[in-house]
Amino acid sequence: MSAQPSPTSQKKPTRWRWREPSLAYVLIAPTVAVLLALSVYPLIYAVKVAFQSGTGESTHWTLEHFTRLLSDGFFLAALGHTLLYAAAALTFEFLLGLGLALLVDRPLRGRGLFRALLLVPMMLPPVVVGVVWRLMLNPDFGAINGTLRSVGFNTDMLTWTASPKLAMLSVIAVDVWQWTPFIFLVLLAGLQAMPQEPYEAARLDGSSAWQTFRYITLPLLKPAMLIALLLRTMDLLRVFDQIFILTEGGPGFATETVSLYIYRAAFRFFDFGYAAAMSFVLLIITNLISAGYIRLLQRQEAA
Amino acid sequence: MTAQTRQAKLSNQNGASSMRQSRRARLVIYITLILAVVAALAPVYWMLTISLKSEVDQFASPPRWLLFSPTLAHYAEAFVSRSFGQYLATSATVAVLSTICSVTLGTFAAYGLARFRMPAKLNRRLSLWILSTRMFPPIVSAVPLFMMMRDLRLLNTMAALVIVYTAFNLPFVVWMMRGFFQELPRELEEAAMVDGDSRLGALFRIILPLVVPGLAATAVFCLIMSWNEFLLALVLTQTDAAMTLPVGIAGRVTQYEIKWGVMSAAGVVAMLPILIFAMAVQRYLVRGLSLGAVKG
Repeated sequence: MSAQPSPTSQKKPTRWRWREPSLAYVLIAPTVAVLLALSVYPLIYAVKVAFQSGTGESTHWTLEHFTRLLSDGFFLAALGHTLLYAAAALTFEFLLGLGLALLVDRPLRGRGLFRALLLVPMMLPPVVVGVVWRLMLNPDFGAINGTLRSVGFNTDMLTWTASPKLAMLSVIAVDVWQWTPFIFLVLLAGLQAMPQEPYEAARLDGSSAWQTFRYITLPLLKPAMLIALLLRTMDLLRVFDQIFILTEGGPGFATETVSLYIYRAAFRFFDFGYAAAMSFVLLIITNLISAGYIRLLQRQEAA
Repeated sequence: MTAQTRQAKLSNQNGASSMRQSRRARLVIYITLILAVVAALAPVYWMLTISLKSEVDQFASPPRWLLFSPTLAHYAEAFVSRSFGQYLATSATVAVLSTICSVTLGTFAAYGLARFRMPAKLNRRLSLWILSTRMFPPIVSAVPLFMMMRDLRLLNTMAALVIVYTAFNLPFVVWMMRGFFQELPRELEEAAMVDGDSRLGALFRIILPLVVPGLAATAVFCLIMSWNEFLLALVLTQTDAAMTLPVGIAGRVTQYEIKWGVMSAAGVVAMLPILIFAMAVQRYLVRGLSLGAVKG
């Protein structure tokens, strides 16, 4: 995140006293009030629900929800699925997005059009992405199996989202399809904002294309890469929408992620306390991972 | 980066690379890009064809990508004889109202944070706190928000969604608009004040007109995010009267008997406004998607 430019400090004092902040408080107060009511209060409410048990008179503080989730094999499996999903999708999205960005970062006819068309998947409502891929992956009339059959493949085993073995692969592939454009877009912006001088120097020194990439492009692109990876990681760890539409966590439990499991606990079994406790674990994991990225980013900015 | 320097860089590169880049390399690049575009668009196009195909064509083998006799029957069924028309109206109402609320509140807050100096680095602290409210996974707030709305008897109302989406989009508006305000020199308001404007007068008369493009882009992003949102809508609305389009679609998809044509027609209608909006904010896309972190 860009640091706030230090305000008027170096300038000579002006007639307008920016320092007097009373109007600023009036301008900011409504926003702070809304966020306190709808972001902070719910979080406090969730703490209460997560650490309490019983109803009415018998309500008491307890850690039972947290001890329960440590021995809940389903929760641990959902956590494993989430991490696997995030790691696999992130890897492919990053490599493909970087490749495409490097490819497009040059004078090409129709470059703007390529960029605009490549971005379409990312803008779609996640529910529509779910519908699109249910249609593509349907074993009977889906476009993928239909096309494979028409060139002579036997597709009896390729039941995609209905197959315990292929379901995870399918939902990961859908995420890669939808979000590779995001990495592409951010890295392309990073590439185009680069200074020209190091490249000219490298050319005069007779550096090879690989050397230029390794010692100039990669280091200069690192901040953009970290931001892209940070935002993607946080999104991947909370994944819900597409998987809900594509598999509902199934078949069986094969693609159940933490968000889906929490949803099920809260809104199918109305076990709000347990759902809130699991939410905190997800929140802590997300925060730890993003804190790692942010530390890397800050080190980058300091260097 | 400004348009001029990008332009300059491009022509610069052009001169440098035309010698190095052989014709064959360019051909490979174009083919790769065309394959990537096909991969990105073919699935969406497939849904479009399903929405226009009769059942016979839908289940044809091999799949019919181009040749089929189009029909609008599925659209009529979805939006006239089924409730998708109502879901569409709900989605639009909720998106517009929540966007108005969050853009209004957030713009004022952003101006306060961008322009005034508060004690104890409060500007920066408040900005970061506002950003942090946006960082936690929505499922974390889903459970308490559901319970709050239940206690307030607001479940299954559009009001619940408008309130929740306003809060959800506020941090985004604050960060985007703060960036746009910071790009304007302070001397603008100082000159207006010398001319006798009040502070708020200077904001409305001088500053806001200058940030209109950024304001419009921010509003369009809010519309897109509210329109696309699924999890909170699913949790907070379960009746036809308050259901948004994504929830309506999801409710039908997960049933056993799926009407694929109707589903696809609803999907196409849910997707079209978003694509149009996205094209409109192309210039600000990187900035919007990174919450202002990358000024592309």
